[in-house]
Amino acid sequence: MSLFEQNFSVFLQGFGHTLLASIFALVGSLILGTIFAIMQVTNSRTARSIGNIYVQVFRNIPLLIITLFFYLAVAKVIKMTGFTAGTIALTLYTSAFIAESVRAGILSIEAGQMEGARANGLTFGQAMRVIILPQAFKVAIPSLGNQFINLVKNSSILAFVGGLDLMYQGNIVAANSFDTFTTYIIIGLFYLVITLPLSYYIQHLEHKLKKNA
Amino acid sequence: MEKAKKRRFGLIATIILALAIVLGLFWAQQTVAHNAKHQDTLTRVKKSGKIVWGTKADTKLFGLMDTKTGQSEGFDVDMAKAVTKQIGKQIGEKLTPSFVTVSTASKIQLLKNTNIDGVFGVMTITPERAKIVDFSQPYFPAGQSLLVKKDSGIKSVNDLNDPSKTVLVVVGTTAAQNIKKFAPKAKTIALQDYASAMQALKAGQGQAISTDNAILYGLATENPDYQVVGGTLTNGPYGAAFDHDQKPMVDQVNQAINTMKKNGVYNQLIKKWFGQVPGLDWHDLEVHE
Amino acid sequence: MSMIEFKNVQKYYGDFHALHDINLKIDAGETVVLIGPSGSGKSTLIRTVNGLEEIEDGQLIVDGQDLHDPKTDINKIRRDVGMVFQHFNLYNNKTALENIMLAPRLVLGREEAENKRIAMELLEKVGLADKANNMPSALSGGQKQRIAIARSLAMKPKALLFDEPTSALDPEMIGDVLDVMRDIAKDSSMTLLVVTHEMGFAKAVADRVIFMADGRILEDNSTASFFENPREPRAKKFLSQVEHH
Ligand SMILES: Nc1ncnc2c1ncn2[C@@H]1O[C@H](COP(=O)(O)OP(=O)(O)OP(=O)(O)O)[C@@H](O)[C@H]1O
Ligand SMILES: [Mg+2]
Repeated sequence: MSLFEQNFSVFLQGFGHTLLASIFALVGSLILGTIFAIMQVTNSRTARSIGNIYVQVFRNIPLLIITLFFYLAVAKVIKMTGFTAGTIALTLYTSAFIAESVRAGILSIEAGQMEGARANGLTFGQAMRVIILPQAFKVAIPSLGNQFINLVKNSSILAFVGGLDLMYQGNIVAANSFDTFTTYIIIGLFYLVITLPLSYYIQHLEHKLKKNA
Repeated sequence: MEKAKKRRFGLIATIILALAIVLGLFWAQQTVAHNAKHQDTLTRVKKSGKIVWGTKADTKLFGLMDTKTGQSEGFDVDMAKAVTKQIGKQIGEKLTPSFVTVSTASKIQLLKNTNIDGVFGVMTITPERAKIVDFSQPYFPAGQSLLVKKDSGIKSVNDLNDPSKTVLVVVGTTAAQNIKKFAPKAKTIALQDYASAMQALKAGQGQAISTDNAILYGLATENPDYQVVGGTLTNGPYGAAFDHDQKPMVDQVNQAINTMKKNGVYNQLIKKWFGQVPGLDWHDLEVHE
Repeated sequence: MSMIEFKNVQKYYGDFHALHDINLKIDAGETVVLIGPSGSGKSTLIRTVNGLEEIEDGQLIVDGQDLHDPKTDINKIRRDVGMVFQHFNLYNNKTALENIMLAPRLVLGREEAENKRIAMELLEKVGLADKANNMPSALSGGQKQRIAIARSLAMKPKALLFDEPTSALDPEMIGDVLDVMRDIAKDSSMTLLVVTHEMGFAKAVADRVIFMADGRILEDNSTASFFENPREPRAKKFLSQVEHH
């Protein structure tokens, strides 16, 4: 365990970056994903195709390629660090999956909810925000939970572009200490520190919402 | 069971399960390490009739994967082949070399797990590493240097000693640790391999790559807009690495290298790989005994 | 003055011609009942009035605005034209009271205390003041429909559209809903267009009856003469079927 003590500040720094990237990407991908989900259920053919293309592109390209694209290509035009590039890529990639979850949630809500709201005078946006999305999210929570947990684990992509995250620090500690095994166990435990409470919280939310329904 | 209790039970069960997995893995590792200690590399090699070498696949001039054949080629690979042949002669048995691609980060673990018998993988001999692995005698005189863009105006490591500068290194290299000594103010970013580091340098993610000159020459050959500058910062020759306490194997390898240096095989390989590198006089690398 | 006016309106679902050349005028304050066999286009017609279905040709003038004109703001018209659905379409994530208060708050910007007062009055009126805090899932069908009517009334609309408001209800609940609708019809300023199979209700409250079949209006007659002496043979046949039902 002296490996842990010796490199504690390094691990902590990595943990901080992983946590930060995860939070940014979680919030960002939830917003983006919801926007693209809504675009896919509007009447506008243009909005639908844009939403659809977006989802297909980012869902079907490996995260590493998106990350390298930002780190190596976009960075030539707009300066950005590996952390930024990785977090943006993670956000875009995850948002495509979230868009699918949210879209499925929206489609599971009977059409009468939207019709009732529109007939009542609400705009499409108001109906979405106040009536449809709250119900759709309730349906989508288990699937969103999976996406969020994947997101935290996928944040290890930052290591490939010097993003200073847990995996990055782990690679360095492993290489310098020559104790790859222990290092990655410790890294794995740090990931659990984020993912376990997250899964637990999502389960809790699921139970709570089920009770209210 | 009431709900709150049930939930708490679930949480505790999860934690216990996680702990059990972790402990199980530790135990497995202990067992592997324990078993490994009693394995003598030379005995294993004699028994199997082959030496499994770890070599790099991403390092031009030393070990670079030829995409057509799927085989790595380079000075390290040829050294491994020649050493295998020579040891075969020494012990009077026919030995064949076989190759496993290793990364900078994985090579030591692979040695420890006896997945490979030895490493020819641009590996600098350092005291810390020597505590964990056995090194052969030096087989290549390398030293840390810098690769920069030709028009960058950077002449030496002093030009990089500035918080606005980023030096790119590769995870697990000695250069990654040393650069902090030579340019303490500069930021360093460690990438997975030399190809990534080169791409990042081109993308402007850093102003220089620092690693062994031998590798930088390889990169410069392929990227004519870039050059090696600043001389060598360290003296860090390469050695072949083996698991700890493998004196019989190391002795065989050292004897083989000595023979190759005497009989001209070594110089042939030097000429083959470094004869054409711009900015490098391969005669300096030849040995005359 | 006419509240709703169809002029040569055509409606298609893809290739299917759902409304054939509809011409119809409903004056402000009138109560009109729309009847016809299943699939005749009653729902389609009533849903064009608040733009839930778009028309392909002709003019549809509601409260002075042509719905076929792309410049018309449909949301504005929907403030003044409420709708009650066969399947209620209450907001499942809101309480009964919130169902009523939501649109006035978001669309009209009605002040909160005033909003609540009006909503409670309406709940009183439909006899469900004690269910104010129930979620829709905790209401019976008849109760849901009465809340839905209160929700429409809260917007203080000029016209109300009813699409078979009692068809999904158990027989013993129909009476309560029809009572509420009867009360609304008494208010002479409100225009009502009602699709229903409740002939007793039609006879009692309608000023006019419109009979549709195959996407066409076949008969448009005063209530009394329609029921006593329908002009159309198909209307006659339809009436005999419904009344023996
Ligand atoms: N969205 C749609 N797409 C295609 N065809 C439709 C659509 N909605 C209705 N139709 C068709 O239009 C015709 C009229 O339907 P509508 O729902 O208006 O009938 P209705 O008179 O209300 O019948 P009911 O008494 O059964 O409610 C029917 O033949 C129906 O199949
Ligand atoms: Mg209908």
